[in-house]
Amino acid sequence: MATLEVRDLHVSVKDEESKKEKEILKGVNLKMKTGEIHAIMGPNGTGKSTLSQTIMGQPGYKVTQGDILLNGESIVGMPVDERARKGLFLAMQYPAEIQGVTNAEFLRAAINARRPQDDQISVMDFIKKLDKNLELLDMSQKMTERYLNEGFSGGEKKRNEILQLLMIEPTFAILDEIDSGLDIDALKVVSKGVNSMRGDNFGSLIITHYQRLLNYIVPDTVHVMMDGQIVETGGPELAKKLEDEGYAGLRDELGLDIKLVDDED
Amino acid sequence: MTELAEAKEQLTSASQQHDEPRFLLNQRLFARDLMEKLRLPRMQRFKFHDWPLIADQPLTWVSSNTDLEELAPDDEVIRVTQVGQTTVKIHIPEKLQDEGVVLTDIFTAAKNYPEIFKKNFMTAIKADENLLTAYHMAYLNAGLFLYVPKNVEIKKPIEAEIVQDNTQDQPLISHILVVADQGSKVKFIQHLTTVGKNENPANMMIELIAKDNSEIDFSSLDELGASTHTYFKRRADIGRDAHVEWAVGLMNDGDTVGDMDSELLGECGYANSKMIAVTTLNQEVGVNNRVTNHGKHTIGLINQRGVILENSELIFNGIGQIIHGAHGSKADQQNRVLIMSDKARGDANPILLIDENDVEAGHAASVGPVDPHQMYYLMSRGIPRKQAERMVIRGFLGAVLSAIPAADVRKKLVDILERKLTDGQQYQ
Ligand SMILES: Nc1ncnc2c1ncn2[C@@H]1O[C@H](COP(=O)(O)OP(=O)(O)O)[C@@H](O)[C@H]1O
Ligand SMILES: [Mg+2]
Repeated sequence: MATLEVRDLHVSVKDEESKKEKEILKGVNLKMKTGEIHAIMGPNGTGKSTLSQTIMGQPGYKVTQGDILLNGESIVGMPVDERARKGLFLAMQYPAEIQGVTNAEFLRAAINARRPQDDQISVMDFIKKLDKNLELLDMSQKMTERYLNEGFSGGEKKRNEILQLLMIEPTFAILDEIDSGLDIDALKVVSKGVNSMRGDNFGSLIITHYQRLLNYIVPDTVHVMMDGQIVETGGPELAKKLEDEGYAGLRDELGLDIKLVDDED
Repeated sequence: MTELAEAKEQLTSASQQHDEPRFLLNQRLFARDLMEKLRLPRMQRFKFHDWPLIADQPLTWVSSNTDLEELAPDDEVIRVTQVGQTTVKIHIPEKLQDEGVVLTDIFTAAKNYPEIFKKNFMTAIKADENLLTAYHMAYLNAGLFLYVPKNVEIKKPIEAEIVQDNTQDQPLISHILVVADQGSKVKFIQHLTTVGKNENPANMMIELIAKDNSEIDFSSLDELGASTHTYFKRRADIGRDAHVEWAVGLMNDGDTVGDMDSELLGECGYANSKMIAVTTLNQEVGVNNRVTNHGKHTIGLINQRGVILENSELIFNGIGQIIHGAHGSKADQQNRVLIMSDKARGDANPILLIDENDVEAGHAASVGPVDPHQMYYLMSRGIPRKQAERMVIRGFLGAVLSAIPAADVRKKLVDILERKLTDGQQYQ
């Protein structure tokens, strides 16, 4: 069993315009194990992406206090590629486009990066695995010969993130708004992909703004984040409650004095 | 006797010994006179005036050891190989010869095809432009000539292997003249390499004469050695409705200064000048890539990408000029360089000179490190930094890589690239 733990995490970023450090995460605590699926819900601008990027190791986010532990080992200060090879994966909200590198070539490089030099994946095994996952995600072979994310539609990018998840088979996957911009059919496909990973050796942290995704990937635990902190934790029923009452409702119930960026709920 | 008179006498006897036609000797002598008053060309932001670009040597005919070059026998490929001044082999299918295609060394062309040769040779590039063009004309000692007759389409690329011979003390002063007659189509790939370690200048010129409605794709993989100082000049004169595409992989190990020129003379012509360069160690490389729209409704594109490693310097000047009267024309350019170490220096300068109103002109330039967002993405999948860097760079250079028509040349270029990048990364 593997564990991922976030302890009293404070994170700030430098604002591009004002050049000032701004604290985004204000003491986040979270503990999860393989075999579990956790969801983090929260209004826009609350720090969900900041949390996922900081766990992954995006260099723009500075940990000013607290710790992130993977199997008890602190990973703060560890380069992003090393974290990935230790089992972390982040399906990004805005994946980069890279011209000149095909999707297939990239996937092989990613798989081989976590295998020893003398045990690289064979072409046959790679193709078999790729075909299986393409079928599962209802993706065409052509997608793998295209340049990485280049000219992909929003939905194609999301599918491609999940394809990477299935190919790389990490220990912990953070999925940042994998549902945004997806129609219902695509949402079902993506969920099928994630659900196929469920098992004793896999844990996932699913970040979403909406409850809808959680009908398809049913979480064990739901956390609600507001203003850089986790303000409530519960079971799947918490997501349903949010759906009914909105973030403002929960905020008022908890007696929090937080201004929500958008009260569209 | 004055030094000039002596030099001209020497040129005369060398030319006669070489059995050259009189007109060629006259051009040499005229150019030798010009050398007395012309100066080195200038390039914005790049200094090379103390480089040994002119050999202090008479015109001499030497032969090179042609075992140096290994030839893959392949009847399908149209290939010509030159080592130094020695033409090793020209292979051209009979069918094309029957259609009137001519592929010879430059001196045979002057002798056997004087009409067409005289009409085109040194017409795009002119001897009186600067000291190095005059030097080129006066001391020319190698080269190739290709003529593609009207409406003939050569489907397979013509591959020229040019080997500069640094086992001897001889400059290589080489001229490739390609004449694509009306409505013809041709792809030409040259691969430049060096054998030996002696220091020599290389003065390498290419003239493309693209007559009306013709198409020329010219790719070049430049891989000259570290002990060579190179000046290159490549110019295309582009007629009405003619297309010229350049795809140059500038991978020389030595100091290099060069001019790319595309002259859109006729209406509705099209030029696309693509170049990638990788510089390493203490190398200095400067390139002017110029496209000039003279004709109406012409399109001129420039795309230059450079990667500067270690302690090297790379300057890319992109010059897009629209001449008064070139109505409805378009000039667009991109010049981008990646700076990969603290000691690397470089610049990408777009220069737009527009003398007409109803035209479209654009440019983009960037100088900086590899895109951090792309790096983060690749590394977040476990790919180590250096490998990720090479992948991002390959993507950055992708537009030119994919423009090279022959898969084996493309592969060669990618291999050189990997090697240079891997070596360069040791330094970081
Ligand atoms: N790289 C950054 N630079 C500046 N501000 C940022 C950066 N990343 C996030 N922020 C700010 O941090 C807050 C939280 O953003 P984010 O973590 O993206 O929220 P969420 O994912 O919950 O919508 C927002 O106010 C956002 O503007
Ligand atoms: Mg977000």
